[in-house]
Amino acid sequence: MDKSRKMFLQFSGVAIVLLTWELGGRILGELLLAPPSIVAVSYIELLLDGEMLTELAASMRQMLVGFGFSCLIGMPLGAAMGRSKVIDALVHPWISMMVVTSVAALAPVFILLFGTGFEFRAAIVFVASIGYVVLTAYHGSRGIDPKMLDVARSFGTGRIDVYRKVVLPALFPYLITGARLGLVHAIRAMIVAEMFVIVGYGGLIFQTGQDLSTAPILSYLVTIMIVSIGANLVLSWVGRRVAPWYDSKMAAGQ
Amino acid sequence: MPAKSPAEMIKARPSGGLRDSLENLAGRPRLLYPLSFLFGLCVWELIATQIPDVIFASPSTVVLHLVDATVTGELPRLFASSLQHMLLGLSLALLVAVPLGFLMGRNDTVFQMFDPVVNAIFSIPSIAFVPFLIIWFGVFFEARVSLVFVMCVFDILVTVAAGARNIEPRIIQVARSFAADRRSMFFKVLMPASYPFLLTGFRIGTVRAVNAMITAELFFATVNLGEYMEDAASEFNAPAMLAVVFGLAVFGLGCQEGIKWLESRLLPWHVRD
Repeated sequence: MDKSRKMFLQFSGVAIVLLTWELGGRILGELLLAPPSIVAVSYIELLLDGEMLTELAASMRQMLVGFGFSCLIGMPLGAAMGRSKVIDALVHPWISMMVVTSVAALAPVFILLFGTGFEFRAAIVFVASIGYVVLTAYHGSRGIDPKMLDVARSFGTGRIDVYRKVVLPALFPYLITGARLGLVHAIRAMIVAEMFVIVGYGGLIFQTGQDLSTAPILSYLVTIMIVSIGANLVLSWVGRRVAPWYDSKMAAGQ
Repeated sequence: MPAKSPAEMIKARPSGGLRDSLENLAGRPRLLYPLSFLFGLCVWELIATQIPDVIFASPSTVVLHLVDATVTGELPRLFASSLQHMLLGLSLALLVAVPLGFLMGRNDTVFQMFDPVVNAIFSIPSIAFVPFLIIWFGVFFEARVSLVFVMCVFDILVTVAAGARNIEPRIIQVARSFAADRRSMFFKVLMPASYPFLLTGFRIGTVRAVNAMITAELFFATVNLGEYMEDAASEFNAPAMLAVVFGLAVFGLGCQEGIKWLESRLLPWHVRD
């Protein structure tokens, strides 16, 4: 399939969805489903008003702290799990459990532990995202081709150099992928936590639900969608930029 | 354990020392997992002694509470009613997502048209749809079912679409070369090739549905397990809260591992990590 045809199809897909939404919105009314034409107007109003973006920025900062910690701890931990069976066996069941645990169910527990402020949100984000970071790094470091390590050793490379010049570059694409996965879940967790205690951006979404029109809610959803997609694009751009072998590695079905 | 490959046999050295015996143990997950479970519980117990009882509980009190509330029949009863909206939501999601996923995966035009849209909606945190669902479905059973549906439908759709798209083209070409008609192409080639990713979609969807089950009970009118947790929170009853969280985590993990086990039993030809 050539590029122009692909573009045409993607464009028409979006157009079909928008048209259906517009039609549905007109039939159901603004109270049930605001059509895109009205959402666009309300979106511009909210942008000019400024509250949406300031709340979003504040929430993002708090989220990034929790997410930063989960990368700092999760990446080395996952790499170590892949290289050592003992660490793997000790940590793996608990990491799996963290991945399946519901963020919403943790919220009441964490409120008792941390209150409803910054620590609460950062902790929720941390717990929700670290599992994905760890598991991706784990798969990466387990999949390192032993031949590469053997070659390095045959050339008399020292332990530290093996780590710096062989293990880390091979691991890098996985670390970036883990960060991408983790970030998606970090954003989800942030919204859950904020909706639970009704603060920040999530609080904004929840409170607006009581209004007469669904246009503001839909605007908030559009913004969080753009943030999520944008963060993903930025991280894969970083991956390609810092490690040009990123795409070939990840396209190999790993 | 499967028979050792020659390379592994060469690597195997006479063992000795703590490190080696631990490494040996690590080869047998059946022995090591309970050990690591116990180890983690000990760490948790140690942490719990440092924190006041009202806000965090030790595993022993949590397990005691779990046993108590199970024996009185309270937790099983609540859990059973929680399962209702989870199972209904999950079934609806499967009914919608599997055919749509197939359509997207096997038809390139449909895929190119709707992949960007599906990905865009998928990147919205599902929980953000809650105000919407309240407007449409109220705050009771229907709303809970709808949240479970929304939370797992996209995960299943994306998994099934990717799987259907990646069916090895060679097996289809072979079937064509042997002049397979549409019927046998579908039943003898496409269907068996789909079992692995269908089960994967089912597994991912189920874990999401367990997650959604308790989320729905906390974010709409609090009922069942959600109500139990809220009551415990207002009474500063940390063991009761952690019992629900821990019980659900174990349940989710059990579902996941159970379906994985099913995959290995039903699809032995499907090599997986």
